[in-house]
Amino acid sequence: MIETGDRIVDSELLEQIVNNLKEINSKLDRLVVQVEARDEQVSEKDRMVADSLDVITLLSLPDHLRTTATTLFEIGPATADEIASVTNKERAVESNYLNQLVRMNHVRKYREGRKVYFRINESLKKK
Amino acid sequence: MTHTLAIHSSKGGTGKTSIAVNLAVAFAAEGKDTCLIDLDLRGPSLCTMFRPKSRFWINDFLSGKCSLKDTLTDVGGELGTNGQLYLSFSNPDIAEIRDLVSKDRNWQAGALKALMNGKKELAEKDLDVIIFDTSPGVEYESINAVAASDIVVIVHNDTHACTNCTEQLINGVYSLLDKKCAIVDNMHHGNCLDVIEKSRYGAPVLATIPCMCEIATRGKDEILVHTEPEHLFSKSIMAIRDKIEAMQ
Repeated sequence: MIETGDRIVDSELLEQIVNNLKEINSKLDRLVVQVEARDEQVSEKDRMVADSLDVITLLSLPDHLRTTATTLFEIGPATADEIASVTNKERAVESNYLNQLVRMNHVRKYREGRKVYFRINESLKKK
Repeated sequence: MTHTLAIHSSKGGTGKTSIAVNLAVAFAAEGKDTCLIDLDLRGPSLCTMFRPKSRFWINDFLSGKCSLKDTLTDVGGELGTNGQLYLSFSNPDIAEIRDLVSKDRNWQAGALKALMNGKKELAEKDLDVIIFDTSPGVEYESINAVAASDIVVIVHNDTHACTNCTEQLINGVYSLLDKKCAIVDNMHHGNCLDVIEKSRYGAPVLATIPCMCEIATRGKDEILVHTEPEHLFSKSIMAIRDKIEAMQ
């Protein structure tokens, strides 16, 4: 009896577990769809900001970043030091601003020997 | 040291091109090596006053197809100015203008970089003055020109529309790009002798030019600064030139 009872309990339990697993599976499926949709949105946004820096975007940047970006436009590829000497700000401050512009995809960063140079992003094609 | 001016206005028909051309001739007459570039790509006008002799248009340069010097026509000899006077023309072909209107912001970003490089190219040629004649209002082409310039000369006429927009341009564009700017009151209908306004919206007023039909009618066939230096308009242009030099 106990055995049978246990088996009944076991099969009920198994059924419940299977149902739960199915539910988890369908929830996971829904989550995967959501995450994929979000990723698509992010990469769409990424594509939009990955374009090189145009003058209207330049105007919409916050003051401190605009000054840095304008200076980089004027003096071409430059180190944070060179930008700082034009803007009369600390090198570390300009380095911070330049790295923000790099994260926004407006500026590219590259190394030449021991120096780190920045230049306006020239990628004329979308990613 | 090369100085770059952008001749801009909030509205069309304020006389930008007349002032740009006469100012360029005035600088060259004084012995300054000057280059005038027609950046009114949607409504080219320099080609109606001079005949282009170069293989390329400024449009080609902005698209990265040639260097800036490939677009230049030398008219200094023809006009007999003391300094060199180079012109760079915008392509008046309607297909080219249609094509331009469909350009995206990536092309405009490339065009701004090209303008910056063009400035360096002309500085290496030891040019003294570069003048951009622009399209009115906030268009990519005109704001690119503003961004690439050192001083913006706003040609202003006496209408409410122009007045309201000029203030916005100064505060919302030129100041944000850290540009020096100056105002020229053109086609003024009041008594110019009584006008002694020295500055407006924080920018100096360089000259007040009275409205004269003659400027429009004679301006079709001649450059007044060149043909009649004693004309009131010519004198105003020379005064503007001298004040711009003092600003630099």
